[in-house]
Parts: sequence; C-alpha cells; structure tokens
Amino acid sequence: MPVLGYNNIVAMLWLAVLLTIISLGITLFIKINKIEKLQKAVDSLKKSLDEMDEQAKLIVRTDMELNKTQEELDKKITGLYALQRLSRTIATTLQEDLIFKMIEPGHLEDLGFEKACGFLWNDKEKKFLPYLKIGYLENEIKIIKSAVDADMGIYLDIIKNERTFSSISYSQEESYKQRLNNIFGVIYFVIAPLLPKEGNKGFLFVGTENTDKSLTEGDEELITILANQIGQALENARLFEKTWRAQQDLEKKIEERTRALTQALEDVKIISKRKTDFISAVSHELRTPLTSIKGYAAILLEERLGALPPAVRERLEKINTHSDELVHMVNDLLDIARIEAGKTIMKKEEQNLKNIIANVADLIMIQCKNKNINLIIDLPDSIPPVFADRSQIERVFINLLGNAVKFTPQNGEIAIRVKANDTELEIGISDTGIGIPQEALHNLFQEFYRVDNPINQQVKGTGLGLSLVKHIVEAHQGKIWVESVMNKGSTFKFTLPLK
Amino acid sequence: MNIGIGISTEKDTLQAAKEAVLQAKKNIKTAKISLAVVFTSIEFAHINTIKIINSLLHPVALIGCTSAAIISNKGIFKHGIVIMLIGLSEGEGVYFNAASVKNIDSSNALVSGQKLGEKLLFGFRDIRRDLGIILSDGLLEDGTGLISGLQERLGRSFPLVGASASDNLKFHKTFLYINEEVVSNAICGMLWGGKLNFGLGIKHGWKPLGKPRRVTKASGNTVYEIDGAPAAKLYEEYLASGLDKLKKELKRVSIFYPIGIYIPGEEEFLLRNIRLIKDDGSIVCQGNIPEDAQIRLMIGTKESCLLAVKEAVDEAKKGLFGRKGDFVFVFDSISRYILLGRQAHQELEIIKKEFGADTPIIGFYTYGEQAPLRAISYQGKAYSHNQTITILAIGG
Repeated sequence: MPVLGYNNIVAMLWLAVLLTIISLGITLFIKINKIEKLQKAVDSLKKSLDEMDEQAKLIVRTDMELNKTQEELDKKITGLYALQRLSRTIATTLQEDLIFKMIEPGHLEDLGFEKACGFLWNDKEKKFLPYLKIGYLENEIKIIKSAVDADMGIYLDIIKNERTFSSISYSQEESYKQRLNNIFGVIYFVIAPLLPKEGNKGFLFVGTENTDKSLTEGDEELITILANQIGQALENARLFEKTWRAQQDLEKKIEERTRALTQALEDVKIISKRKTDFISAVSHELRTPLTSIKGYAAILLEERLGALPPAVRERLEKINTHSDELVHMVNDLLDIARIEAGKTIMKKEEQNLKNIIANVADLIMIQCKNKNINLIIDLPDSIPPVFADRSQIERVFINLLGNAVKFTPQNGEIAIRVKANDTELEIGISDTGIGIPQEALHNLFQEFYRVDNPINQQVKGTGLGLSLVKHIVEAHQGKIWVESVMNKGSTFKFTLPLK
Repeated sequence: MNIGIGISTEKDTLQAAKEAVLQAKKNIKTAKISLAVVFTSIEFAHINTIKIINSLLHPVALIGCTSAAIISNKGIFKHGIVIMLIGLSEGEGVYFNAASVKNIDSSNALVSGQKLGEKLLFGFRDIRRDLGIILSDGLLEDGTGLISGLQERLGRSFPLVGASASDNLKFHKTFLYINEEVVSNAICGMLWGGKLNFGLGIKHGWKPLGKPRRVTKASGNTVYEIDGAPAAKLYEEYLASGLDKLKKELKRVSIFYPIGIYIPGEEEFLLRNIRLIKDDGSIVCQGNIPEDAQIRLMIGTKESCLLAVKEAVDEAKKGLFGRKGDFVFVFDSISRYILLGRQAHQELEIIKKEFGADTPIIGFYTYGEQAPLRAISYQGKAYSHNQTITILAIGG
C-alpha cells in the first residue's frame, strides 16, 4: 500500500509537474506571442515615427525654400520701396551737387548694401572725381580715387559700353574681381554707369561686406535703375542750370538795355527842354526888336516924318510885310514852346464842333472862291459835344484848311468830314492837291520841316504850322495823322476825345 | 510713477539726444527724474551721446544699451535714440536700485553675476523685492553663468527679466550705457521693490517638429553629439545639405529652425539658436544645453510668431490683475526682427492695441533674453531664451 501509495504520489507529482510545465509552456507561448505582437506594434510605431520624421524633413526643406523665396521677395519689395522713395527725391532736385546728397545710408541699407561711392569723369582734368561716399571714411575715398585713376580705362569702358556689371556677372578673371573687392573693401558689388546726356558722365558703385548677402540679378537691375535715375537727374539739373544761366544773361542784357534807353530818353528830354527854352528865349528877344522895327516902319509909312519917295515906300512895305511874317513865326514858335513846356493851359470847355467848323469855313471861303475850290462840309446830323479849347481848335482847322487851299489847284475840292464813335470824334480834312511823297509823311509834323515841292518853293511858310497843330491835338489827348496819294490829294485826320 | 518717453531719428548726435530728451521731459509730469532708460542704434554708442543726455537731465541713474533697432509707441526705427524717464514720488512706495559690473569674461561670469546680485541688494534689506531687470553685453560668452550667479544672490525663483544688447547685426561689439559710461563686457540691472505691480509674458511661437532626440554629449553652450552622432548631423539630415552649405546658411537656419529643449513641467520648449557649426560637426548654441536633454527641431512661421506676441501680452496683462500698466518694456529677439522682415511692425501694433495707444512703450531688439519659463507663476527659475518676445508691463 505504502509502495503503491508512494508510486501513486510520484505519478501524481509527475503529472503535476507535467501540467505545470504545460501551463508554463502555454503561458510562455502566450507571453511570447504578446511580446511579438507588442514588438510588432513598437516596430510599426517606430516606423510611423520614422516616416513622420521623414515627412518632417520634407516639411523643413519645403519651408526653407519658401522662406528663402519670401526673403528674396521681401528684399526686392524693400529695395523697390527704397528706390521709389529715392527716385522721388532725386527727380525733384535741380541742383547737381545736391543729387548725390539725397542718397542716404538708410536707402542703401534697404537696397541691401552699406557702401557706395559715385565718380564723375572730369573732362578738363582728365580724371574721375568723387561725388558720393557712403560707408567710407575720407581717407578711404582718397585711396579708392587713386586706384580708380590708376585703372581709369576699366571705368571709362563702363561708361562707353553703357553696361552694369557686378560680382556675379563680371566676366573678367577672378583675380580682377578680387582686386575690385580689395579696392572698394567689399565682398559683393554692383557698378553701374551714370549717363546724363548733358555734361560729364560717371559711374555708381555699391557694395556690401555682408557675407550673408546673396547678390542676384535683381540687385543688378535695381542699381541700374538707380543709376539711370541719377543720370536723368544730373541731366535735368544741368539743363536747368543752363536755362537758368541763359535767362539770367538775358535779364541782365535787358536790364542794361533798359538802363541805356532810359538814359538816352533822359538825354533827349534834357536836349528837348534846352531847345524849348532856347526857342522861347530867342523868340522873346526877337519880339522886342521886331515890334520896334514894325513901329518905326509904320511911322515912316504914315509919312509922319515926311513924304516917301515911291522906291522907299515900296521897300518899307516889304519891311512891314516881312516883319508881320516874322512876328507870326515867332508867335507860332512861342506857342509850340509853351505847349511843349506845358505852360499853355488849354481852356477846355464843352464845344459844339458844328459851330467851330461853320466859323472857320466862313474865314476860308474867300480863299476858296479865289481859286474856285469847292468846299464840302460833310457832318452827321448830330455831333456829340467835345471838351476843348475853342481858339486852339480853330487854329488847328485854320492851319489844316489853309494848307489844303495852298496845295489844291484851281477848281479843286476840299472836304471837311466828321465821324463820331463812342469815345471820340474823327475829323478829316481832305484835298485834291498834289499830295505828299511817302518819305515825307514821317517828318511832316516836325518843326521847320517843309516838303520839297514846287508850291513850297514859291509860297513862303515857316514849317511850324503842322507842328503846332500836332501839339495842340496832343494837348487835347487826341491823335493826328495823314494819308496821301501823290497827285490825287491828302487827308489830314485828327481825333478829339469825347467828354 | 511718472513716465515720459522721447524718441529721435536725427542723424546728428547732439540733435538726436536733445530732441529725444526734450520730448521725454515734455511728456513726464514731474521735475524729479529718478531713472533714465536709453536705447540707441549702434552709431550713437559714443560717450558724447551719454554726456549730452546727462547734462540735459541730471537723472539719479541712467542705464541702457545699443540695439539693431529701437522700439517705442511711435514705431520701430533702425537708427535713433529712445529715452524713457521714470519719476518716482516718495508716497507711492516703489523703490529701485541700479547697479553694474564691468570687465566680464568667460572665466568670471558666475562671480560677476554674484557681484551684481550683491550690489543690487544693497539698500533693499527691509524692502520687499519684486523684480530684477538685467541688461547685458550681447556678445558675452557665458550668459548662463551670469544668470546663475545672480540667482545665487537674489534667489533661484526670483523673477528676473533680462535682455542682451545688440549691434547692427554684424555681431562685432555691443555696448551698455551705465550712468556716464559707454562700456562693453558688462552687465547692469535694476532691482525693483516695494509696492510694484508687474505682469510678464514671454513667448516665441515655435512648434516642435520631427522625432524627439537626445543630447548625448554636451558641455556648456556646445553640443557635440545628438543620438550618438555629430550634432550638426541633425541639420544635415533635415535640410539635406552638406556641412559647408549649412555653415553658409547658418543665420537663416538658426532663426527658422532653432533647437527646442524639452523642460519637464514647462509648457513651452526653450529655444536655442545656433551660433556656430564647427568642422567636427559640433554646434555652439546661444545659451547652454545640458547633456541628456531631450530636444526637438523647431519650426516657426510669421503667423505663429505674431500669435505668440498676443499670448505674451495676455500673460503680461494677467499679471497686472486688471490694473493698467504705467509703461511696457518690450525685449524682442533680433531673430524675430529678421524673420518678420517688413512685417516686424505688426508685433508693435498688437502690443499697442492690447495695452492702449496711450500706454508708453519702450524696447529694443536683443541678442538673447532671460526670463522664467512659466511666466504666470513667477516661481519658475529664469532661463536664457532665444527668439522670444518679452513683454514686461509695470505699474506703480
């Protein structure tokens, strides 16, 4: 029993062990299975993470590209804004030396550069002179200037070829680019020609020491536009300067001429006054002895001092006649002088021209009848009154009608015509006389001027009548002129302002 | 707190300084000027600028720095001077202390940070300390050391906001203005306390992309290996470009795709720009990356950048608990300026819109920022940042 029991126990134990092993095995199997599953999940997660990381890489790269593009765009917009601001200021600057001063470090910064210099070729001195410096010290510019002078051929070529070049477009060997970099102390640069059509040309240099800067063709374009703007502004300034100078010269000349003319006018006035004074003085001086001569001649002619032999009487009568003429002439001269000197006061009153004309016509009628001249008086129905000195106006009529009678041949015709408008009366006295030569018309109203014609050679005259007439008309603010056709007749016209 | 801001874009130093000062003086409603903050473009980094400003103002203290562009309510200007005058009246209970440390190099960064901390604390024994604002030379090698030193003295979780000076993107030399001096290799700061209210928001807007990676070998700013391979391999893979091309396009790559460090417990990744790629494939970052850090490649767009500004402003406003700020400091990463390009002004537009057109704004573009990551809690430790916009709204 115990043996059986022992065996049984052992068997049972074995069974238990077996069962345990089996269950452990199953558990292990399940665990391993689970681990495998978890591992798979982890692997899958890891894979997803790696995939996501790869996606992240793609995102970063795309983002980087986008940022670069955006940056480039931003840079361009900023540059364009700066260029626009700059252009506006430069374009309105008309002083050459101020144009370069308008370019400020801020503008340049916005264009992506911090150094700039501008040189203009001086044709007289045969070298480049600096006009702009930004980001350079005075002594640095001096060094650059001597380097530019040493290599002036290159810079003159820029002007000649009218082409911009830069660190990226420069086709020469690398060592030369390096040399330019050293001269101007930059890493990237753009050089553009300044090409005003007027005057000296030059070039604009901009550069940067910033290694982060990526120079593009866009930069080249922007700087070319800036250089063109400067060139245009220089041209405008120079043209303006030229025009301004020309205008100044013209103004100066006009001023000089005006001054000379004013002086001449003053001189003429002085001479004229002297002449008037002289005539006035001489006439007065002449009148006294003339009066005596005339007086004595009259006494003699009246034979108060004894009878006169006919030959003496004849001579004395001539003395008397000539004295009368002389008195008449002196009186005319004195009148002219007085009017010129403003000493004659016109006693202007309201006048009816019809009355005046009727009066004068009566006076002249006898002379007309003697020569069988037909006197026509052609007046409108009503003539507005004029404001004039009656006796002076009568003198005008008498003088003009007297001349007309004198120069009109037998059976001729003389006409007095009056036209009225809103402001003045125009009076015309025409004859069918011999006429006045064209060249004489100009001098007709001058004192002592007498037209050279057969009648004047026969008939005496002083040459003062028309001058006096002109003075009187002008003293009434009127005008006088003459129209004439040779051998057909002349018309003297004068105006009198209405009241 | 009385504030007056003046700005000038005149080219001549005398004219620019004079115009900015006179404007600021006109805008501030007090004769007592406690502090002048000055930011200028690099061409004004001259002793004369500071002399003119001091002679016209006689402020208690003056701090400031150079930058690639200056920021004010009136806009963003590449060239110019912006001045903010602060006048504190005794009754309002707000206090500040300004201090500086010069002659900093990579060997003494930690000590210099400690020194500045000690100087700033001077006089603040019985006053509650609220906020530290730090300006530093933008080309200092060990910015992390400086911050660590400062934190050792001011406290690990003390709110510290910093910005480093920049130049005209040439990375030649940056300058700080400290009272009557113009110096490089220096750090200066203001410690504010008393009844000061402020709100801080700092955001960048970049998002992680691709697989998480691990820094397997690094020291300070240099990352030697990522996932056992040379660090630069990461960029070579993603951009499908060789080392040479990568080096050439480094600035763009660094701005668009910085490295993001995952910080446990923080929402935002901490960004690191790449300053240099070495021939052995190691990369030198702007700020340190610890060994074993989990990192990601980051990607940002203009839209996400501008969205981050709004988020930063919202956080800053939350910190003010509904009060209106007396003025706003904006420390904006130069990378954002480059990335946004012509749209850079949109950031300012968002800030102006959110704070109101009449709130004075002053700021500049930095070569690096320092601030706590989880800004809202103010318990967070200050980190060195890249590519962020820091909005610091301050109210008395």
